[in-house]
Amino acid sequence: MKHPLPLAIAVALAFAALPIVTASNYLVGVGVSALIFTVAAAALNLIYGFTGLLSFAQLGFWGIGGYAAALTVVTFGGTYWMGLVYAALLSGIVALVIGYPILRTNRHAFVISTLTFALLVALIARDWVDLTRGPLGIPNLPPPHAFGVTFDSPHKYYAIAWVFTVAMLAFLYALCSSRIGRTLVAIKQNEPLVRAQGISPMPYKLASFAIGAAITGAAGGVFTFYLRIIDTSFLDFYYMQTFLIIVIIGGAGSFWGVLLSGVVLSALPEALRFSADFRMIIYGVILVVAMFVMPTGVAGWLRERKLTAMREQLR
Amino acid sequence: MTIDAVYLLQLTLNGIALGLLYALIAVGLSLIFGVMEIINFAHGELLMLGAFGMCFALPVMGLLYWPALVASVIGVMLVGFAIYEVLLARLRPDEFERSILITLGLSIIIIHVMQYLFTATPRMVDSQFGFDGVEIGAIRITWTRVIGAGVALAAFAGLYFVLRHTQFGRAMRAIAQNREAALMVGIRPRVVARNAVVLAAGLSGLAGAAVAPIQNVTPYMGQFMIFKAFALVIIGGLGNVPGAVVAAVGLGLIESWIGGFYEIVWQEGAVFVIMIVVLFLRPDGLFKRGGMRVG
Repeated sequence: MKHPLPLAIAVALAFAALPIVTASNYLVGVGVSALIFTVAAAALNLIYGFTGLLSFAQLGFWGIGGYAAALTVVTFGGTYWMGLVYAALLSGIVALVIGYPILRTNRHAFVISTLTFALLVALIARDWVDLTRGPLGIPNLPPPHAFGVTFDSPHKYYAIAWVFTVAMLAFLYALCSSRIGRTLVAIKQNEPLVRAQGISPMPYKLASFAIGAAITGAAGGVFTFYLRIIDTSFLDFYYMQTFLIIVIIGGAGSFWGVLLSGVVLSALPEALRFSADFRMIIYGVILVVAMFVMPTGVAGWLRERKLTAMREQLR
Repeated sequence: MTIDAVYLLQLTLNGIALGLLYALIAVGLSLIFGVMEIINFAHGELLMLGAFGMCFALPVMGLLYWPALVASVIGVMLVGFAIYEVLLARLRPDEFERSILITLGLSIIIIHVMQYLFTATPRMVDSQFGFDGVEIGAIRITWTRVIGAGVALAAFAGLYFVLRHTQFGRAMRAIAQNREAALMVGIRPRVVARNAVVLAAGLSGLAGAAVAPIQNVTPYMGQFMIFKAFALVIIGGLGNVPGAVVAAVGLGLIESWIGGFYEIVWQEGAVFVIMIVVLFLRPDGLFKRGGMRVG
């Protein structure tokens, strides 16, 4: 793609038009999920695709964000907007605290520790009943207001999700295409070389872990208020699998590839209307097949085809 | 609550039985990691398949415990063999993240296919021993638990013997200690890796078959176990087989004691808290990874 930015703006505007085009609450709902899942997948892409750290902790941050936003409003009497800020801040701070010890370990231990962290968050959500109300959850979250508007229908909530998505993706794009983004890729490709250039990888890794966590946390907060309820199923491993599959199919390390697959993969299962079990079987098969057939995702596959075509021309 | 000796002893015995079960799974993970440097995410599903195997084999065998146990373990080993040949054999040793994603996909497939075929309703498994138990003083333990613990101990003894005294086990340890040197003396890594996966699958299937008469059998039973086993393998030091056993039995005891005196939340969370503390103090786990040294 030579000019991704004008195209991206056109697509973003097309998405903004969705609630105007259709009156169906169902379709708009699918749209909200697609937007938020894409943000969460893009945050995972920052950590896994760019920095090369496979993190399962995203699920934990998603849950922390969801609960932080819900509890700010329901238990502590704050506004929705403060809830989102706390969701991002809390996730980011937790990421810094746990990130420091687990980033010191090797990459094998990192993966497993992040997985364990996600499970620990799920356990806390289930068992700290005084705070989270356990498996009963917190139903009837009040809809947010701003500028005299109450965002109480999927159509209105879509506006919040859209603004949030565009803002987060723009931030991530700026980050990934900056010097910091290139340093992250360098760390993934050759960490000893990065050290030899006089750059300490640790602050970069920690920053990408924490930024990804904060964005995932905020996305969790936005999604909770779309569902209008939070309970322990918010930390179901299903979400993590969805984010991972989006990143892998799109192509880890490709910003635009992940956005494309985020939209397609969030909408596709809804369009095909599988039963939940059958959908998971398909997801599993896609994951296994994709890892063998195109380990670099659609974006990597296209890049390779382009390279082969260029080599053919040179011949 | 006063701490009375019988209660404490009961908790300790339960803890050892639980720890041996964790150890069966953790050792398999550690073996595979030692030889192939990959993590098998679908390892818990092998346990679940072992339990389901017991579920179907027992009625067929007229509730006879031992033939059903052997049949399920062999069945799970065959599944392990198939997983290795179809999926894992295509991986190179440095593709750690890819191995996780592939086996994660496999685990999703196995769980949901089982749920689709046999529903998520928990099953009870009845064996020839039923709920009969043995009484030692004031303590009563069911036979199925005693046998489960005994089988696990026997499996460890067998594993120790295999790794220590057979060519097959020596080759496995050689690859784990120094891959290049092992290649130079003519050890075929593919065959060794296959053996390790089949052996690990057998241990996991054995764990599943042994717990089937003790707890409910559901398609999700493997997931609860496997996440703890991952943490244990990290605590014990990745690829360190004795470390995994020590960590597993220790955890079984700690969980059982905590469960006896405090709320259940602490019991479930203990392993994760311990893991984070251990990683903070010793990033490589409690026991250093010195290949797979046995004894």
